[in-house]
Amino acid sequence: MSIREKGYHRWDGRLEERRRGWKPIARLGIRLAFKRKHFKFAFSLSFLPAFVFLAGIYLSERLQDFEGIVRKGAMPLRVVPGYFLSYLTADFVLFMTVVLLIFCAAGLVADDLKHNALQLYFARPLAKRDYVLGKAAVVMFFVLLLTLVPGLLLVVFKIVFSGSFGLLRDHPGLPLAIVVYSAAAAVFFASYSLLLSSLSRNRRTASFLIFGIYVFSDMLAEILRGIFRTPYVGLVSVKTNLKLAAAPLFGTKPVLEVPSVYAFVVLAAVVAAGAWVMNRRIRGVTIIK
Amino acid sequence: MSAGKTVDIELKDIAYSYGPIEALRGVSLSLGAGATGLLGPNGAGKSTLLRILLGFLEPDSGEGRVLGYDIRFERDDIRRRVGYMPEDDCLLPGMDAVTFTSYLGELAGMPRQEAMKRAHDVLFYVGLGEARYRFLETYSAGMKQRLKLAQALVHDPPLLFLDEPTANLDPRGRTDILELIADIAAKKDIRVLISSHILSDIESVCSQAVILNKGRVAALGRLADLRQPNFNLFEMRVKGGSGKFLKDLTGLGCRVEETEDGLLRVFMPVGLDRKKVFRLAAEDRTQIRHFLPSRTSLEDLFAQSVGVEG
Repeated sequence: MSIREKGYHRWDGRLEERRRGWKPIARLGIRLAFKRKHFKFAFSLSFLPAFVFLAGIYLSERLQDFEGIVRKGAMPLRVVPGYFLSYLTADFVLFMTVVLLIFCAAGLVADDLKHNALQLYFARPLAKRDYVLGKAAVVMFFVLLLTLVPGLLLVVFKIVFSGSFGLLRDHPGLPLAIVVYSAAAAVFFASYSLLLSSLSRNRRTASFLIFGIYVFSDMLAEILRGIFRTPYVGLVSVKTNLKLAAAPLFGTKPVLEVPSVYAFVVLAAVVAAGAWVMNRRIRGVTIIK
Repeated sequence: MSAGKTVDIELKDIAYSYGPIEALRGVSLSLGAGATGLLGPNGAGKSTLLRILLGFLEPDSGEGRVLGYDIRFERDDIRRRVGYMPEDDCLLPGMDAVTFTSYLGELAGMPRQEAMKRAHDVLFYVGLGEARYRFLETYSAGMKQRLKLAQALVHDPPLLFLDEPTANLDPRGRTDILELIADIAAKKDIRVLISSHILSDIESVCSQAVILNKGRVAALGRLADLRQPNFNLFEMRVKGGSGKFLKDLTGLGCRVEETEDGLLRVFMPVGLDRKKVFRLAAEDRTQIRHFLPSRTSLEDLFAQSVGVEG
């Protein structure tokens, strides 16, 4: 391969002063996630519950069409805010969210640390917050795709299938609750995964931590509940905290007899820890080497 | 703030400490067009200086401008206009060279389409045209080095900072990279600041050099001027009690280096009469069997500067 197969040409364009320096980072992160092996399969699979809940909405509105196969005295399916909460905090949805994080988030910071890429980023006119926001946006994109988009579409389909705005009339705060929960879940999962990704220089270790802590915290909570017989040990579980925090937004009873504010505090602590660790890890690499 | 026309880098009394360790002590310099070599032994402050110029570190005191922009308050403007090739192996895994280069162009502020187009151009320029769609993980050390140069060039900066650009390269790879850098500096109207330990690299590419030692500027100027030093270099072979003779030479203000094959390289102060050396040898009962003036290389200058300051 000879050097200078083509001559060097000056570029006469103008460099933009970006206000959203995080956008190219987010775009590339999303693109790279789809290039990973098995990601598309996992991504498609994670929408399965949305279709099941959609079918549920359809059935609830067309119950008379299925009278022949429905057991007599069976409770009719009621599509109320709790129904949407069930979708958003379904074990399978949360589990698939974590699986997607393994693909799209584990290497976000770990790979940059391993390959000394931070200096490439910060030799550009890029602020630390742009970097963090860009990486977080990758996670938030996928979490919102699994929560916000299906959540709002389910509301839309409920209106379409019922032919009335009865749901919104009776529960006007429902869309906002879906938006707030989805946004909070997106922020939490972004902080959770970036925190763990920045703790290691190895993508596999970060993947193991993301998956392991989610699963192990749930198991640990169950074990502790068996030992101490108090619902408060549920606060150890990532999944339970998300469910506890979501309940008041949708006006439903919490899964455990624990004030939701405690769950908010635990989730907020994870977000704060994520921000703190990211800040230290980035400064450690770019400033003093 | 508009970019300066003649002086690209101007520093005045820059100081920086890592806790109790003073990395830079009152560095003042002014660099203009062409390629400049930044030389110095380990711990001299080269990397710290580059980091200050890029705005990674804020100096404890002093002031400076790069391309007319203040190193304290206009860091983004500097980074937008400077290309930086780091010393370490650094890449973003899971992508090909075109994606990598265009992505970094975009981060520098180029529009997306332009960055993509430009990525192809610079990859061809650095000789990675045929390999531009290969995954970066499969690149050899030489290819990675060229790729780092490509990402530094993608946004067409008027000033390039190259940190050890020939590190870990085989002789052919070294020649290729140096050829590229020489072409960039001489024909593309891009000013280059090269930090390197390899003096011959600096000599082959740069028109001026800065030698740092213990955080201070030990020598600075055009290479041609620096080679007109304030010392004369002689090669000497002696027989007899050389120990006392060498000590006495040092007493005359000379600096003496002994090579592996017993050749003495004597840096004599300009005003010193060489007859004094012979007189001294006679007094010390030492025979001088070989005494020839030698051409001053950058190594000599480096050794002398670092030695004098040390």
